[in-house]
Amino acid sequence: MIASTLRFLWENKMFLLAGAWTTVQLTAVSVALGTVIGTVVGIGRISKNKVISLAAAAYADFLRGTPLLVQIFLVHHGLPAVVSRYVPGFHITPFISAITALSINSGAYVSEIVRAGIQSIDKGQMEAGRSLGMTYWQTMRHIILPQAFRRVVPPLGNEFIALLKDSSLVFAIGYNELMTRGRLLMTKYFMFFETWVAVAIIYLCMTMAVSRLVRFIERRMAVDDQS
Amino acid sequence: MIRVENLHKYFGKLHVLRGVTNHVSRGEVVVIIGPSGSGKSTFLRCLNLLEMPNEGDIYIEGVNVVNHGANRVDINKVRAEVGMVFQSFNLFPHMNVLRNITLAPVLVKGISEDQALKEALALLERVGLSEKAEAYPSQLSGGQQQRVAIARALAMRPKVMLFDEPTSALDPEMIGEVLDVMKDLVSDGMTMVVVTHEMGFAREVADRVLFMDGGVIVEENTPSELFSNPQNPRTKAFLSKIL
Repeated sequence: MIASTLRFLWENKMFLLAGAWTTVQLTAVSVALGTVIGTVVGIGRISKNKVISLAAAAYADFLRGTPLLVQIFLVHHGLPAVVSRYVPGFHITPFISAITALSINSGAYVSEIVRAGIQSIDKGQMEAGRSLGMTYWQTMRHIILPQAFRRVVPPLGNEFIALLKDSSLVFAIGYNELMTRGRLLMTKYFMFFETWVAVAIIYLCMTMAVSRLVRFIERRMAVDDQS
Repeated sequence: MIRVENLHKYFGKLHVLRGVTNHVSRGEVVVIIGPSGSGKSTFLRCLNLLEMPNEGDIYIEGVNVVNHGANRVDINKVRAEVGMVFQSFNLFPHMNVLRNITLAPVLVKGISEDQALKEALALLERVGLSEKAEAYPSQLSGGQQQRVAIARALAMRPKVMLFDEPTSALDPEMIGEVLDVMKDLVSDGMTMVVVTHEMGFAREVADRVLFMDGGVIVEENTPSELFSNPQNPRTKAFLSKIL
């Protein structure tokens, strides 16, 4: 069984690795966009403006309270209708759907991380910035966020790992990443066990590499950070 | 220079300031003393609008800086002219000493990096920390951090300096170095309002001492008069406990 799995993995390595590479790209872009969205929403959540903070909370609650698979379908089948009304002729590919759904979803989780990160910074930092005549946004950008981001590197790393695994759900809209390729191999060779063990091994390698990377960045920042 | 009229501040239902009225002249050094919870820190924080008063007015050089109804002011402009030093220093831990000092002048006043750097180095020399320009706050002692915080506030060239218990978080052997820097400011003619428990400092440099209790100024006088001949029974009780 082990021998046949390894042989299967080896024989289809290029096909699977190409899918793995697509998964990495999809995840990286989605986490990057998700971090931007999450930062905006996270700052919104602590806003004194009730409308903004409620809107931000509603966003996070909806996306964390509904299944990712539903969100993927919602984006893939719902987005074209909306987009074609405003941008005629624009074609929504599975790639766009996948990235949109994953970014929006990741943004909700990142917003929680960012909010907690900002709130973990001592109140005196905001007061010191404001007492020097800096605006709320100047203080946010130069004082609070740089310190908060250092603190959220570990949870952001966890989010990256979670999204890397969750990105497998986009097979449902036929996006050609690792999971979809696994299904293709399964229907081609009917070697169920070998296929999914091979796919699992590749996911495991990727998540372990990411967690190593995060730990490395964390250590680098600990050296840089004198505080 | 600063005129305060009938200031009230509530935290929820808690009535912290119950009508504070006072006047600080240019170049005057005013020390505020009083038991904890008396509202002295809140009063100080109102002066640069870190706390917005619920009632009353604060005039800085004749301009009412309290936002209510028709009167809208640019809070940031007010704060840029009022320096503040905190009990817990609140230096920016992710920036070195120089950057701590130059950040606000560059961002808020728009002066050039070069100019800000030059002024920062001069200020560091003044507080005796030239050799720490490249250090990070965590590499400094409490006393050194507080001196950097004073330099940071001075870099905005404020008209008034507010000190909120600047030595309360310091080890005893470091209190002197911070008080020395403050005395240097006094001899320079800086207008200062200081909340402190350092009675020696009050006695030595204050022009006037305010005793606050229960959200009001109970008694005020020159330090020698107030310390040696307090009139109000609450002042007497407080002083007898700490002197």
